[in-house]
Amino acid sequence: MRRCAGCAVDVEGTWSRCPLCSGPMTGEAVPSPLPSVPLTFSRRRVLRALFLTSIAVIAASFGAQLLLHREVGDLGVARSVWLGVSTMWLVVLMAVRKRRNVAKGTVYLVTLVGLACVYWDYLTGWYGWSLTYAVPIVCACSIVALLITVRVMRIEVGDHILYSGLTVLLGLAPLGFLAFGWVTNPVPSAICGSLSLVTLVALQIVCGPEVRHELVKRLHL
Amino acid sequence: MMGHVLSFGEGPGAAGGFVPRRRDWVRLDNASNIFLAARSHADPKVFRISAELDHDVDPRLLQGALDATYDHYRLYHAVLRRGVFWYYLQDSDLRPTVTADDQYTCAPIYRVDRRNLLFRVMHHDRRIILEVFHALSDGIGALSFLSDLITAYVRLRYPGERPVEEPGRSGEPTEFSPVGAGAGGPRSLVPDSFSHYFRRRRPGDEPRPVAGGEPNRENRLTRRRVHRVSGTRTPDGRPRLVELTMPVRQVLDLARAEGVSLTMYLTGLLFESVRASSAGSGRARTLAASVPVNLRQFFPSASPRNFFATVRVEHTYGEGADDLGSVCRQLDRQFRRKVTVESLDRKVRRFIRFERMPALRVVPRPLKDVILGMINRGSNRGLTVAVSNLGRVSLPEPAATHVGRMAFHVSAVRPQISVVSHAGLLTVSFTSPFVETGHVRAFARRLTAHAVDVTVAAARVTEAELAEVEPAEAQR
Repeated sequence: MRRCAGCAVDVEGTWSRCPLCSGPMTGEAVPSPLPSVPLTFSRRRVLRALFLTSIAVIAASFGAQLLLHREVGDLGVARSVWLGVSTMWLVVLMAVRKRRNVAKGTVYLVTLVGLACVYWDYLTGWYGWSLTYAVPIVCACSIVALLITVRVMRIEVGDHILYSGLTVLLGLAPLGFLAFGWVTNPVPSAICGSLSLVTLVALQIVCGPEVRHELVKRLHL
Repeated sequence: MMGHVLSFGEGPGAAGGFVPRRRDWVRLDNASNIFLAARSHADPKVFRISAELDHDVDPRLLQGALDATYDHYRLYHAVLRRGVFWYYLQDSDLRPTVTADDQYTCAPIYRVDRRNLLFRVMHHDRRIILEVFHALSDGIGALSFLSDLITAYVRLRYPGERPVEEPGRSGEPTEFSPVGAGAGGPRSLVPDSFSHYFRRRRPGDEPRPVAGGEPNRENRLTRRRVHRVSGTRTPDGRPRLVELTMPVRQVLDLARAEGVSLTMYLTGLLFESVRASSAGSGRARTLAASVPVNLRQFFPSASPRNFFATVRVEHTYGEGADDLGSVCRQLDRQFRRKVTVESLDRKVRRFIRFERMPALRVVPRPLKDVILGMINRGSNRGLTVAVSNLGRVSLPEPAATHVGRMAFHVSAVRPQISVVSHAGLLTVSFTSPFVETGHVRAFARRLTAHAVDVTVAAARVTEAELAEVEPAEAQR
């Protein structure tokens, strides 16, 4: 074992100088009980900066639209392209961020896409296409997609049931649009609403106890 | 309180092929919540206990031993999940795998949204290594897991050697194998000794110790500015680790000569070393250490979960005798006063009352993390170092004869020493977020000046240190 005369200690490992005082050492080296691990740098900080910058740019893009009033100039197609790019960026960002939990990611996507469509519709003169077509179709498709996904990916009930439940509850919103007469064509909302109702009843019958178990666990005070 | 894992068959007409399954879960204990709020990249709240055997570890046998031990510890199956108001531990079907020790000591274990086990078992040459996320268990709890793991490994490695007594358990209660049992079995997911002892008393329990007069908050009002160590952070946030190994007898003699416990002797020595290594004018003259105390000694429990409280001791230099003996004796007096059943009971009850405050309970979890994080930063301001002593480990035979020294490392937000002894060897591991080793040098030189035989093992941390190892490795 090597020895540092200055510190009067024996040193394990192949140190050429004393790890405590950097002084010279004498004697034969023995293997160190601690491995030499190369430096590691995590990308966490970079990814975090990218995420926050993206959110800021997207929020600024959406906000800037309000300043460009619909009567001002011929923004026309440019506005839709701008909104389309921002929305796509937002969707990709959320999908990547929530990739570890498909059910949770679906709730985020349905909410964000729904809100973006309504805002888009409002900016372009409120023709009602968002509430009539976009929101009900997104909701209904996500319910079907989720039912297929949890089966194919064999996701455990406890892991997805609350988010599936939330998605289904979001699917009930188009029934409200129907009731208040906000839609120009009742068919998509009616289909989405009835699909949600049927799924909700089925979930209650099949997984009622699991839903309660998960709620008790997650809302535990 | 909670049901066991229930498995139902697939119901007729189950929508989407759900396989209803309810997993056992349990909320985190009082101490663990602060770990989650206080963890950071530099201090991921992980600790490591390793044991050095008399031969190179066989990974295949170690995996076999791990599989057998893992089956007995329900708690270690748990993953950490986030609720709306609190974190909770949930049972899982994951299986641990033994790996080579290819990460620096106490590397992060818990990552948000990744459901992984909260411990890892590794091997390096002759060492068996267990790393645990502190929200899962404390040092004593983890020691019981490691002890069973080593016992199982030795049984596989030396099938001819008969266990001296009941395998896996040392029958005689020592300071490390706590007597009595907490609520439930020692190895289930459920028992939380904090709530068992401090939340409410059930009829038949021993009466609450008499609270002796004023609440114990002497330092709260008169706290002085405490010296805090600063330095150059390590390049990738790993701890600067230096292990000092020495014969326990030699150091015990030094402590006894001063009439103090080993822990307080080492604390006093660390104060001296920090002071000697941080020269500079205008620094605060008060040094303070946080010392975790195993509550199982005072409130019998066999729970493998966290069950400890920290005690703060301090010394102000320049107000009376400052020689090592006087400092140690003064620290020892403080420590003895604070480590009594009454005083600890009062302290932990205060934390539990805070945790159970209705106003805090309804605060959503992310906000709670912020509040607890601020409280933690506040208490960090009053601390210079931390001293954690696991004490003398007694492994059951025949495992004990095959294990030499053991080591205990704790991830650190401030310079820290973690102490453990086995087979007559005391290992004092220094961890620090800074690359400087001045206090370790002062500590070691002080010991060697008293004719203690010190052996140093250090992990390479800086780029220059790691560059040096490459040619040496190539030669081998």
